[in-house]
Amino acid sequence: MADFWLEVADITQSAMDGLLYGSTYALIGIGFTLIFGVMRKVNIAFGAASLAGTYASLVAFQVLHAPAIVVFAVSVIASGVLGYVVYLTCFRFIAASNELGSLLATIGMLLFLDEVTVVSTQGMPMPYPVLFSDTMLFFGPFSLRSDLLLVFVASVVCTGILLAVIYRTRLGLATRVVSQQPVAALLCGISVPRTNATTFVLSGFLGGVAGSFIASSVGLLSPLLLIPVTLKGLVVTVIGGLGSIPGAIVAGLLVGLLENVFLYFRGVTERDIYVMLLLFIFLAVRPRGLLGRLHA
Amino acid sequence: MDFYIGLLQIFGIHTLLGLSAYLLILTGQVSMAQAGFFAIGAYMAGICTAMWGWHIVPALALGGLLSGVLALLIGFPALRVKGMMLVIATLAFSEVVRLFFFNFNYTVLRDGIPIGPIGAEGFRRIRYFPENGWTTIEVSLFMGLIVLLVGGALWWADRSRLGAVVRAVGEDELAAQSVGINLTTIKVAAMTLGGVIAGIGGGLYAHMTTHVEHLNFGILLATFAIAYPILGGMGSVFGTLAAVVFVQGFLVEGLRFLGDWRNLLFGLLIMLAMNVRIKQLGDVRLRNLLRGLFGLRRRSHAGA
Repeated sequence: MADFWLEVADITQSAMDGLLYGSTYALIGIGFTLIFGVMRKVNIAFGAASLAGTYASLVAFQVLHAPAIVVFAVSVIASGVLGYVVYLTCFRFIAASNELGSLLATIGMLLFLDEVTVVSTQGMPMPYPVLFSDTMLFFGPFSLRSDLLLVFVASVVCTGILLAVIYRTRLGLATRVVSQQPVAALLCGISVPRTNATTFVLSGFLGGVAGSFIASSVGLLSPLLLIPVTLKGLVVTVIGGLGSIPGAIVAGLLVGLLENVFLYFRGVTERDIYVMLLLFIFLAVRPRGLLGRLHA
Repeated sequence: MDFYIGLLQIFGIHTLLGLSAYLLILTGQVSMAQAGFFAIGAYMAGICTAMWGWHIVPALALGGLLSGVLALLIGFPALRVKGMMLVIATLAFSEVVRLFFFNFNYTVLRDGIPIGPIGAEGFRRIRYFPENGWTTIEVSLFMGLIVLLVGGALWWADRSRLGAVVRAVGEDELAAQSVGINLTTIKVAAMTLGGVIAGIGGGLYAHMTTHVEHLNFGILLATFAIAYPILGGMGSVFGTLAAVVFVQGFLVEGLRFLGDWRNLLFGLLIMLAMNVRIKQLGDVRLRNLLRGLFGLRRRSHAGA
């Protein structure tokens, strides 16, 4: 009986760690879903562009020996810039009706960014600034890694800021108008390309936050992160419902939690299989996701 | 000389991969699952010859068949989603297959050596061709024959009534449905046949390289598969062939002197091709783009 309760405690611990880590997936998922919301197109390069921005911040860390907070800021800004570059290369000059054209262009971008990070770092993982890794908070039998807790809190704050921007500012109003009625937005004198570009930069900022948190909670930045983060982000976006920000948050936390439970039971090499299977179950049973609209 | 024969074999295998995606794109489905089917065919055919001692032809057939069955199984649920969602779903399928083989262990002892897929290490010693004394020329002719059969069958079907039906589904589903075409049958059949072709290609690939591992079957391979028909144009199977020769012959082999940096070019090429979308030189869109670049034409449209 004691063994059983020990097991339950372990699983709960894994689930809690996963839930906290899942907040970074939620940020990536929000980025994907935000772009889908305004463009009605998927930007597959989003996760890779975010981590490429984080890679750019390594320059500040390794060359300038900047403190962690500056490195994080550089990551956020670089990801925003890369978001704009992705918009220019994969969306701006491709017709709005040609959704597969943009999709393929972003896959090209994903491969390009993947190769750039591999070639420029010789494929070696690089150390990334870690936030107070040794501190633990204890609650009875459970412990919380305080850096993961910080990641969670910061993700919540970022999401809050984003929601405030979308629902409380003129810029956010313009974004929502463009996502609902592009033609009406045009008639009201809203510049559609500029609004779209702003959305890409905004989502890039979020991606930069997520990228630096992912790297710092592992302590390493590896090119091997790019494609798994992209896939997790896509899984989160689809499970949450394309275009739904609350959906992406719930799905991000859920995927993070389940991932760690799968990790506990089946080990690290099999973990991602079950995450992908979760996506299939959703596609087969509920293609519009948890909180997505019908025909989104 | 061996180098050029090896290059021809790569052309053949990638042509099969590209044709499997070509068939699907004709029906309007862009699938990233071809890398997964290719992997299944490669491992299955390798298991048949290296571990069970089968002849190469039934081994390839079983590999193709298994891929086809899986394609059929994922074809039905995948039909519920279209366009972008299908790309995401099939991408996830390929990753599941890759991760499956990353965890897959199954070996038998032959001459005191364990043979078979060993997880991350991959599947070594798929040495059917050298063990049975096939020369490089014979292997190439065998591959050429398969490519010719598959390509010829697709070319012929493309020009027949069936080709018109398939293209109708790809161009306009509603119109196709209203003239009595069964969309589900056509799409699932294309998915299945695409799986079989990719599986056969994978089987040949395993026997050509004698060693496969899960890293061979990533997103890059899936992108290659759909890039060939798209870059080559959807006019006929020859477009796919031309794109294979261009990408594998020029971008990958011809630019080898650039070292690792040439891998960047493939991603850039896809981005460029999507932005320009040239059907042929002198295309009106290319002219407009050049005019736009040199400021001769004001951009008045506000799309994108």
